[in-house]
Amino acid sequence: MAKKRNSKDILAWTLIGIILIAYLAWTLFPFAWMFITSLKSRAIIYKPYFIPYFQFQPTLENWYNVLKGGYGPRAFINSLVVAVLSSLLSLILGALEGYGLSRFKFRKWKNRDIAVFILSQRMMPPVAVIIPYFLIMRTFALLDTWWALILAHSVFNLPLSTWLAMDFFNEIPIDVEDSALVDGCTYWGTFLRVTLPLSIPGLVAIYILCFIFSWNELLFALTLTYNKAYTVPVLIAGTLAFQQMAWWDLAVYTTLAIIPPVVLALMFEKYLVRGLTLGAVKF
Amino acid sequence: MARRIPVGWLFILPTIIFLLIMTIFPLIWSLALAFCSWKLAKGGIESHPEFIGLGNFLEAINSDRRYWNAMGYTWLYTAVAVTLEFLIGLGLAILLSFKEFRGRRFFRVAYLVPMACPPLGVAFMWRLLLHEDVGVLNKILMAIGLGRMRWMTDPWTARFALIMVDIWQWTPFMFLALLAALQALPVEPYEAALIDGASRWQILRYITIPMLKPVITTILLLRTIDCLKLFDYVYGITRGGPGLSTESASYYIYLVGLSYFDFGYASALSYILLVMMLALSMMLILRLRRGM
Repeated sequence: MAKKRNSKDILAWTLIGIILIAYLAWTLFPFAWMFITSLKSRAIIYKPYFIPYFQFQPTLENWYNVLKGGYGPRAFINSLVVAVLSSLLSLILGALEGYGLSRFKFRKWKNRDIAVFILSQRMMPPVAVIIPYFLIMRTFALLDTWWALILAHSVFNLPLSTWLAMDFFNEIPIDVEDSALVDGCTYWGTFLRVTLPLSIPGLVAIYILCFIFSWNELLFALTLTYNKAYTVPVLIAGTLAFQQMAWWDLAVYTTLAIIPPVVLALMFEKYLVRGLTLGAVKF
Repeated sequence: MARRIPVGWLFILPTIIFLLIMTIFPLIWSLALAFCSWKLAKGGIESHPEFIGLGNFLEAINSDRRYWNAMGYTWLYTAVAVTLEFLIGLGLAILLSFKEFRGRRFFRVAYLVPMACPPLGVAFMWRLLLHEDVGVLNKILMAIGLGRMRWMTDPWTARFALIMVDIWQWTPFMFLALLAALQALPVEPYEAALIDGASRWQILRYITIPMLKPVITTILLLRTIDCLKLFDYVYGITRGGPGLSTESASYYIYLVGLSYFDFGYASALSYILLVMMLALSMMLILRLRRGM
């Protein structure tokens, strides 16, 4: 635009700037407040002090108390194990399924119908299956173990991993595979040695998205774990339930719980919308 | 796309079998339970479900005012939250898509932070802010002379507070999806409109919105379906209170099933919710299917 800057333009840009910054403040203030709360000693934790060193003396005692043992570290280990393994399971199954749907033509049931069957899982309200899950896990003595949650979380991530994998594989030209097949490679070998290496960025993105959703999930974790395999959201929910909330512990738990998904989401920002809309919207 | 060899089944069968075991089988089981009476509080875990036909559904429809109260709030919450998230998200996306300017990427990235957070973490952050005696929001409101808000003890304020939290966390989703869609639009229609002397408003109303329509419908449906599953904020922030004013359908079903251990009745209630969501789900599924 080669237009000269007139006063109307400047006014418009100031207004836009104010709106954007106001929204930024609304977005980030809760994080800042929680982090600052985590640095306050118990005596002043309810006081509305905002600026460390000027208004109050920051302390790491809350962090120390949480990290030295007790419920906190255990919940983080549980969350980590469940998220790492359930995302791996979702990724493997989703990549196979996505590849199958992208490269082969199924005549009896059409490819689209299979994909839709998998997608329909994404729409189902989770409360509709928690009682059967509870009963199944109880039957196999899996209640309050990692495995119950790993299975549950990998199931609800399947629509995401399948649809995204299908989307990524569709973008890889089929000619590369055809030449490998001509050279005598098996289908399986072509998939492992030709297609997979080409789609690593996409597969990593799928894994990360599954990780975030598993890390954040509450309802299944609440239903299937009690006092051994509880995850971080369950720990936070449990601590929130007391009349006198332990703000000092909660502020630390929550800060720690937020860091992994936020860092990963910022790193894979490009894929976030694509994942959440199952490939319908791309950056 | 044209190879048709049985080897394809080896790729897709693991997932299909896994889903049949972990989704279809549980859904059938809970449908069967919906026609049974199975109250663990009475008979203990070793008791057996007893077939009672449509009894659970009749009870829910005829006499469970608590369930319909929760259902009513769930739909109200969804309608208000999705509408406001869409409008704010659209506004922000348009502001950021006006022109290339320094710091644009920064805003885009900073705005998305809330939606990556665990909802329970969000619940705690907002409980810090919304606490009626020592919360920061009330301190600010009092300092500027607006007085205390009864965030957690007044039914309508509490209902609104939960919606506000949802808006805080999920507006970024609308914003990012719309921004992505806006940036993918072709420029030709805009050039033509500028030559014809169209105003900004006319361009938005008659060019941008119609071109965005497919994306708008998809993300509205996605958000609506996810909002109707509302559970985490209720569990973490209000526990359904004050009274029963912020109970959501999922929260009430969870209580019936896993606090009162009335498995049969909870299954029936969850099927009512599932059926109510079915039409919306079908619309969304058909849209995504077309995009394949």
